[in-house]
Amino acid sequence: MQEHGDGEPFDPEGIVWTRVSPRLAAMRRVLSVFAALVVLLVMGGVLLVFATDTVDLDGLVVVPVGVALVVVLVEIWHQWIIGRQTAAWGYAEREDDLLVRHGVMWRTIVVVPYGRMQYVDVTAGPVERAFGLATVRLHTASAATDAAVPGLPPEEAARLRDRLSARGESQLAGL
Amino acid sequence: MNPTAPDGEDLPDGPSTPGTGEWKRVHPLTPLIRSWQLFLFFLLFTGQQVISDGLEEGTENLRPDLRGSGPLLVLGILLAAVLLVIGLSALVWRFMRYRVGADSLEIHTGVLFRQHRSARLDRIQTVDVVQPLVARAVGLARLRVEVAGGSDSKIDLSYLTESHAQNLRAELLARAAGVEFTGPLAPVAPELHRLEVPATRLVASLLLSVPTLLLVLGLAALTALAIGARTVAPLAGVVPGLLVAASTLWERFSHGFAFRVSTSPDGLRLRHGLLEQQTQTVPPGRVQALRVSQPLLWRHRDWWRIQMIIAGYGQEVSGRSEQTTSILLPVGTREETLGVLAMALPDLGDTGPDTPRQVVEAGMTGTSADHGFVTVPRAARPLDPVGWRRGGFRVTGDALLVRHGRFHRTVDLVPHARTQSCGVRQGPVQHRLGIATFTLHTTPGAFTVGAEHLDRAVCAGLLDEQVLRARAARRAAGPERWMEDR
Repeated sequence: MQEHGDGEPFDPEGIVWTRVSPRLAAMRRVLSVFAALVVLLVMGGVLLVFATDTVDLDGLVVVPVGVALVVVLVEIWHQWIIGRQTAAWGYAEREDDLLVRHGVMWRTIVVVPYGRMQYVDVTAGPVERAFGLATVRLHTASAATDAAVPGLPPEEAARLRDRLSARGESQLAGL
Repeated sequence: MNPTAPDGEDLPDGPSTPGTGEWKRVHPLTPLIRSWQLFLFFLLFTGQQVISDGLEEGTENLRPDLRGSGPLLVLGILLAAVLLVIGLSALVWRFMRYRVGADSLEIHTGVLFRQHRSARLDRIQTVDVVQPLVARAVGLARLRVEVAGGSDSKIDLSYLTESHAQNLRAELLARAAGVEFTGPLAPVAPELHRLEVPATRLVASLLLSVPTLLLVLGLAALTALAIGARTVAPLAGVVPGLLVAASTLWERFSHGFAFRVSTSPDGLRLRHGLLEQQTQTVPPGRVQALRVSQPLLWRHRDWWRIQMIIAGYGQEVSGRSEQTTSILLPVGTREETLGVLAMALPDLGDTGPDTPRQVVEAGMTGTSADHGFVTVPRAARPLDPVGWRRGGFRVTGDALLVRHGRFHRTVDLVPHARTQSCGVRQGPVQHRLGIATFTLHTTPGAFTVGAEHLDRAVCAGLLDEQVLRARAARRAAGPERWMEDR
């Protein structure tokens, strides 16, 4: 049983992965930029408070500029990571189970048999709704099952939910 | 809320199905038992007041009209509070009813906010009879029925008379098993006593444990420093830690005291407890996963501990009960451990050329690929320099065994039929080393199951095949009603 085709756990043979919507990347990019701006603004605010209190700032001006540079660099890196992360999300509906994989550095793949599914959640927060996205999450009797598919267009999320529910019903098993 | 209202006027009048019992109340002493601590407090306070009054009388004889009124007032308020609490719990008692239907256990509670809970008997995971000290003194017991489902999924019938609790347990188990019976009392499944953990071994096992080690080291350091510096002040911070260690030890001792395991057609029966006596019944097929482990300090004695995951047990509110109710065997010799394992998981299925015993023992102590174990590759050494030699898994016809831990030896057994889902994880270093971690998802419990640092091709194969095996095992699994013919 040890021998297996190409031996890549995150890309089983014959699986066609469905990608999540590119709008998810857009949403996370906007959120990330927003967070970076907040950090910069807070820093600016702190700087202003200090500027009124202390007389001489000439020598210290390097510090906020340096920190701002770091924030900008981290932001650029994050933008790059978001692109890769979003591209790595994928799910596949097999005959008897759902496969979900995600992660670039820390990669994860989960296989959830339909018969083990207890319920399906479809959630959409305000930001997700603004981008026309929803998250589908599968729950089994195990809390460790982490099978969530974010970044689905609402129609696709509804379709997936209905399909999962229907398949779950037809294959229902006890604990 | 009207106390003179006729009994059961607010109860749903469903059509009475065959086998549906009457609505019953729990024992009328319940309110008193539930608030006994308060009662005790009141008695203590009163006693203390009487004594101090007596002392005062000797020393002071000025203005007797004022002297006694203060304590008397406090006493009055306390008495009122006690009466109020008892009255409230009596009200709660009045509004609580239960009944055993043909295929459900129904319980009706609540004074202001009514709750009607109906649990399917074939989904019962365990039936426990619990007797706290005070309840035991008056011959009462609590029936705790676990039905797996989200949080707070147990049904607590407290308190019943001891014999009634036992009859009810027999009835619930018989109905859950699908046994047909006539007459008012369900047949009690015959029980076969298998083993008892001697008190001396329990004490010795606790002495050879980490809390004891901490306790001894802490006390030694404390005394040494106290003697050296003639003060204990700097070590006052250690005291809470010592208390925690001591209470952990006490908890384990009192829980594991007189631990007896027996088997019956209704499944495993565990009896144990010093102050609070418990009888747990785990019907067949309810064990989601088992963990056999051996701390380093137990190795020369060859003692082992078994924990189990039962659906619903993991979700109990206090972490304490999760740790203790999940114990299947607090400490046992290798023979006893293998015996109890065989009772909890009677069949490992096809084990190939090896006997089941060889496979389990290889899981408990093995470090090589003997007896069909697939081991962690040498490549995992940078990430796990000590444990990699122990790491591995073995697939049998009906279960997956995962072993790990060089010092604290552990082997987990999960029946294929109980696998919820599975997955593979891989971090950046693992990626570079060509290894990955396989995880098996069971219902929440005292531990999680995963095989670290397997070769990634092995992982891929295992992921693929474990899903198939789980599906096949589920199809072939026995019925939920374990005594029913299929």
